[in-house]
Amino acid sequence: MPEFGPVTCAGCGLLCDDVTVDASSDGVRLRPECPLGARWFSEQLGRSDAAPATIDGEPADVESALARAAELLRGARRPLVHGFEGATVEDARAAVALADRLGALVFTGDGVWPGAPALALRGASTATLGEIRDRSSLVVIWREDPQSTHPRLLERLGFAGATPERALVVVDDRDTATTWRADGQHRWPRDLDLEALIGLHLWQKGVAPPAGNLATELGRLTERVASAMHVTFVYGPALNAGAGGQRRALALHELVRAMSHERHVVTLELPDAPGSRSADDVLAWQSGYSGQVDFAPGHPEWVTATEPPDDVDVTVRVESGPAGGVVTGPVWIRTAAAGVQASGTVHRLDGVPIALQAPLPGDAPTAATLLRALLAKVAP
Amino acid sequence: MTAIRITGGAVHDPANDVDGEIRDVCLNDGKVVADVGPEARRIDARGMVVMAGGVDIHAHIAGPKVNAARRLSPEERRAEPLDRTQLLRSGTGGLVPSTFATGYRYSLLGYTTVVEAAAPPLAARHVLSELRDTPMIDKAFLILMGNNQVLFELIRRSGGDVSQQLRDAVAWWLEATGGYGVKLVNPGGVELWKQSGGAVQSLDDDVVGFGVTPRQVLEAIGGAVDELGLPHPVHVHANNLGVPGNADTTLETMRTLSGRQAHFAHVQFHSYGGKPGGGAGGIKSRAPELIEYLGEHPEITVDVGQVMFGPAMTMTADAHVSAVLRDLDGGKWLNHDTEVETGCGIVPYRYRAGNYVHALQWGIGLELFLLGKDPWQVMLSTDHPNGGSFLSYPKLIRLLMDRAFREDQMGRANQRAIRRTALTDGLDREYTLNEIAIITRAAPARRLGLRGKGHLGVGADADVTIYHDRADREEMFATPRYVIKAGEMVVEEGELRAVDDGVLLSSHAGFDPTVDGVLAPLFGERYTVAFKHYPVRDPALREPARVVEAGVR
Repeated sequence: MPEFGPVTCAGCGLLCDDVTVDASSDGVRLRPECPLGARWFSEQLGRSDAAPATIDGEPADVESALARAAELLRGARRPLVHGFEGATVEDARAAVALADRLGALVFTGDGVWPGAPALALRGASTATLGEIRDRSSLVVIWREDPQSTHPRLLERLGFAGATPERALVVVDDRDTATTWRADGQHRWPRDLDLEALIGLHLWQKGVAPPAGNLATELGRLTERVASAMHVTFVYGPALNAGAGGQRRALALHELVRAMSHERHVVTLELPDAPGSRSADDVLAWQSGYSGQVDFAPGHPEWVTATEPPDDVDVTVRVESGPAGGVVTGPVWIRTAAAGVQASGTVHRLDGVPIALQAPLPGDAPTAATLLRALLAKVAP
Repeated sequence: MTAIRITGGAVHDPANDVDGEIRDVCLNDGKVVADVGPEARRIDARGMVVMAGGVDIHAHIAGPKVNAARRLSPEERRAEPLDRTQLLRSGTGGLVPSTFATGYRYSLLGYTTVVEAAAPPLAARHVLSELRDTPMIDKAFLILMGNNQVLFELIRRSGGDVSQQLRDAVAWWLEATGGYGVKLVNPGGVELWKQSGGAVQSLDDDVVGFGVTPRQVLEAIGGAVDELGLPHPVHVHANNLGVPGNADTTLETMRTLSGRQAHFAHVQFHSYGGKPGGGAGGIKSRAPELIEYLGEHPEITVDVGQVMFGPAMTMTADAHVSAVLRDLDGGKWLNHDTEVETGCGIVPYRYRAGNYVHALQWGIGLELFLLGKDPWQVMLSTDHPNGGSFLSYPKLIRLLMDRAFREDQMGRANQRAIRRTALTDGLDREYTLNEIAIITRAAPARRLGLRGKGHLGVGADADVTIYHDRADREEMFATPRYVIKAGEMVVEEGELRAVDDGVLLSSHAGFDPTVDGVLAPLFGERYTVAFKHYPVRDPALREPARVVEAGVR
């Protein structure tokens, strides 16, 4: 396979669009190097083309599979549309249209239901990658390990080489690939994060927390912040997922807001899947709500549950990976790999819409095409 | 496509000097035609008023800023849900409706064309995707250029003059994004705010690190737009929005662009007297001065940005303003910095009749409408949703057409504020239907360079709104009897009957393609998106479109 590029890599939410891919017999290499991106391209290039679809695990043609999926959906009492890990904006638009017609639940993730996002309660201050690279003299990474999950993040935030006027610090009590790259580390247990964020907030108001190890660490971090006019907090599921996640995220945004009176402070959220930001944005503009929406009442209703409903009887899953497809119950229909065989748009983790290219030919339909075909069969 | 004859209605078509004349309007193949055959559908419009479809020259309906506002205010969505039907997608309402609801509700109001007035070029793909999900209306968007670091560099190189490179760059950006026109928001000031929390004190301030001044940005980009002959002149949100005493800045900005075509957005927010930093109590109206200036400068047009008492959603590329509102209001606040190009701030807000500043803002907006001598220069907007929802347009129209209603509303507002406006000085003007037709469709369409919009002459787009001629003008304009879009009946008696996808309106000006060689290295230094991948070429996003060539103005 010839070398191709520059193209966009959809291996993580960074969506680097300067990637040259060398897929030779001894594996896939990327320039600039990125192990996660190489693995992603390797998976996409190795997608099986054994069967365009299966029903109950048996090979089937696409038309038969669509017919079966439509039959299932027409009979569904409580359908759920979810997944979106590698979804494009176009896929998400078609998926939400289908959910609207079905009166389905939509969840733009594929794991824990997160409940109400902190953003809806107080707001947030955010920025694109270039703003952070060019302005932030202090970047605080809060308990994430982007060197593993978003391997080019630090490079793209301007920490590729020596940066004497800028500092990268990590809040984490683990040693990770990211902490090795950092100029400083602040350690306390994860279960003290809320206390720490509130403590930092109080310190902004001149109230020092009670003496102790946490207070010492908070004091050091407060000193760093005090010496920087532009600060970025990078956070992700380690802060805002799971029990207490909303409260911790809210505390972070309150802290940023308080700090913003004296300096320019922004946040950057690392999503757990590259397609989730796109799906969330599409759901927000088509329904008015993000995250989780129930179309069963005939109009969109926001869902803030932290548990999936137990009465779902048919699911439509927009999935990616080596066996990427649209899955409806026992029906699986293979989709083209967005970013390899299909073009489109994906929203980067900072919200910037990025073009995906289709450098290689493929005969499989996109998820959007399949979902539109399903909609036509469900609601002719 | 069905031929239609609208017969017996009082036609208000000011672009063609028709003022309430009873005459037929004929439609065929999506256009206004001279006549149609006897087989045409006949619409009996006796006792009704016939106008071209409404054209909103300045609103915020799509893009990352609008979508962030939706995410910020889920509680506000629940008030007006829209159920799906066999014909319609479901949606939610409030100040920032979902996309389908936005299109439907504009159509139900008789509007057929809407301009999204502030799109970051970097987000063009997002804007275009949202607009594809906004049916019923033809739509355009203006791209933000007043704080673009690449353009700053070109302006610095030219010493502030309009260079060929700058003209080419402006044309390139429009082509790359599908944008219709150029918007300058707080030129230079957003960059200063992102740098240091600073603000523009004078148009001759240095934009630190870039070697340009706000005045040079205005002159150079405004000049480039003018010289390119884009269908819509430069669209200016002046520096110091909302600041006491900002009328000085606004007038100085107008003088800076003197002799060039320019449109000034939401001037109500830019017509204040008083001293900067002097406190809210010292703010006063200088609307009469601005109106006087406009009277002497026909090359300048404005939209008002009327505030309406009640809830609003402030959203602006002028993020500094949002930070001020955040501290005033104490409620939700969203900020987003977009590399190289712009900022963004969002704060939910409420204008209260009893509040001195809010009542003064309300009064200033009405002053601008009522003191303006030429309605072709002063167009209707609420800067949706900053001053209030577009759904409040019918009430605003009633305020302009019905003096008794206006005086009643004045009586409910803060009297100290009202006394400091010209509203109590025997300002008894009542807008006529023809004047309403001018400020809501004819003038915006003409100013946008949309020759087929805003009028009912032969060859115009068959976008027509027919109203019952009711004494209650608010009721009349809130519920058109019929709305026809591109020749199809889409609304009858307050119900949507058909869905039209609408088209994207873009503009095009020729440019030297070697400008790529100038822009590529500047992009490489600044953006985190590859130059090669920045332009939006996907037909699914760019089409169907109507491209208006430069030089038509």
